[in-house]
Amino acid sequence: MKKPNKKSSKLFKLSTIKSLHKWLSLLVFIQLFIWLGTGIFFNWMDHDKASGNHYRQAVVKQDIEHIRLLDPQAVLKATHLPASEITLVQRLGQPYYLLTHDKGLYKHFDSDFSLVDAYTGVTLEIDKTVASALARASYNGTAKVSTVLAVEPPIEDFLKEQNSLWQVNFSDELNTSVYINASSGRLVGHSNEDKRFVDFFFMLHFMDYALFGQDAVGGFNNWQIIFFALLTLLFCLTGLIWTLELLIKGRYKFK
Amino acid sequence: MPLHRNSRKYHKWLMLFIGLQFVVWSVSGTYMVLMDIDYIHGDSLVVEQKKTIAPELVSYSFKQLLAEHPQASKIKLGLMLKQAVYRFNINKKLVTISAKDGQQLSPINEHLATEIAKQNYANKVAVITTVKLITENPPRELSARHLPVWRVEFDDFVSPSFYISANSAQLVTKRHSFWRIFDWMFAFHVMDYVDESPDNKLLRIVSIVAFIASIFGLVLTYYRLAPAQNKRRKRKPRRVKLSQSDPKQTSKAKLGAVNEKT
Repeated sequence: MKKPNKKSSKLFKLSTIKSLHKWLSLLVFIQLFIWLGTGIFFNWMDHDKASGNHYRQAVVKQDIEHIRLLDPQAVLKATHLPASEITLVQRLGQPYYLLTHDKGLYKHFDSDFSLVDAYTGVTLEIDKTVASALARASYNGTAKVSTVLAVEPPIEDFLKEQNSLWQVNFSDELNTSVYINASSGRLVGHSNEDKRFVDFFFMLHFMDYALFGQDAVGGFNNWQIIFFALLTLLFCLTGLIWTLELLIKGRYKFK
Repeated sequence: MPLHRNSRKYHKWLMLFIGLQFVVWSVSGTYMVLMDIDYIHGDSLVVEQKKTIAPELVSYSFKQLLAEHPQASKIKLGLMLKQAVYRFNINKKLVTISAKDGQQLSPINEHLATEIAKQNYANKVAVITTVKLITENPPRELSARHLPVWRVEFDDFVSPSFYISANSAQLVTKRHSFWRIFDWMFAFHVMDYVDESPDNKLLRIVSIVAFIASIFGLVLTYYRLAPAQNKRRKRKPRRVKLSQSDPKQTSKAKLGAVNEKT
């Protein structure tokens, strides 16, 4: 039993809050330190390094001989799949019509494209060689291509990506990987050890842990973080009440 | 136990100054993890379009376009409502022209912007309340690179606003109440009170102090919950004393006791 006291009911509530605060601290402290530590890291990190674009360069555009361009009406008639957009793009210095057959709200959403030579109408398949050359064109390092792999989502370097990609790996000191969309030939992005390091910290901050048969998704809407966020919220609120109590009772005094 | 006592003192004092930010972090963090990010982006407000360009809609070619606009880049043939159009950049500005005759269609008028907003909006019975052209000073929720835009507001749950670019005649941004709250929550989470970025100095200082204050808290957790019997026996009488006597005197007495021991 608690000591009999005039303010016994109030004290009982406060003592509950205090013991709740102590026990919650035991539950959340590890993740709390991870949050604070990774938070400080994000604040301090080199944002250019974190982009993974150390060896990325803008792809050089060539002039288009517009006289030779095919009539888009003919392209639309020739295609088997209906198209919602035709974009005049360049791949390896040549003009192509990029036909959009299916497009999500964002670039990383599931999409379907095809490429047609804008002068001749010949379809371009993004195979291993083309993917490798496209990656090479966006890369300004001196290293050679080590491997070219066809990768399917989930792709560790770009967890939100929903399309099939070509992964072109360069044998440089940063282990740069360049990703090319397998149907459009679009450069999805560069990744390297610096970016992977930062991604690891994001995984920690977002509690995006691959646990209990659930994969990491590159986001922060998962049940582990919701659970710990609620516990931490309670932890912070009990701490706030405790601090207020100390203030009201005049425990904050310089001696 | 000077470590125990000092930890209590430092934890108490440091948390007086930064405890409120802990509450801010946990409230904003909880909000952000509870809200599905795709919903926050307003993806569910947009209806997915299954559009196809019929060949007969296109009688103006890329060839003609480049002959007339040699500086054009990023040329895209697409649809605007039921009409085929070309969109391209010229002198860093977006232009929309008809794919029937090459006539310039942009910037679009209010009526067209409203129709495009309606076409993209998922709830077909929602009523549009206001339509406004924004050419400068964009609101917080809109990036300046999209200007000029038509802001189309719907009278619907969570007050959605669709932003239709006047130059590309396309939906460029969608916002609603939960997005707006999310944006503020993120700003509070990274202490974006003065600076505009998550690598501001204020956040750095506060999070380092927070880390230190938490370490003292962890020391307290250790002393409170570690199963050492003698610690508990010592604590109980002190608690009684604290509640009965003047706290100032007690702490002085405590300090004296520490000095004697060491």
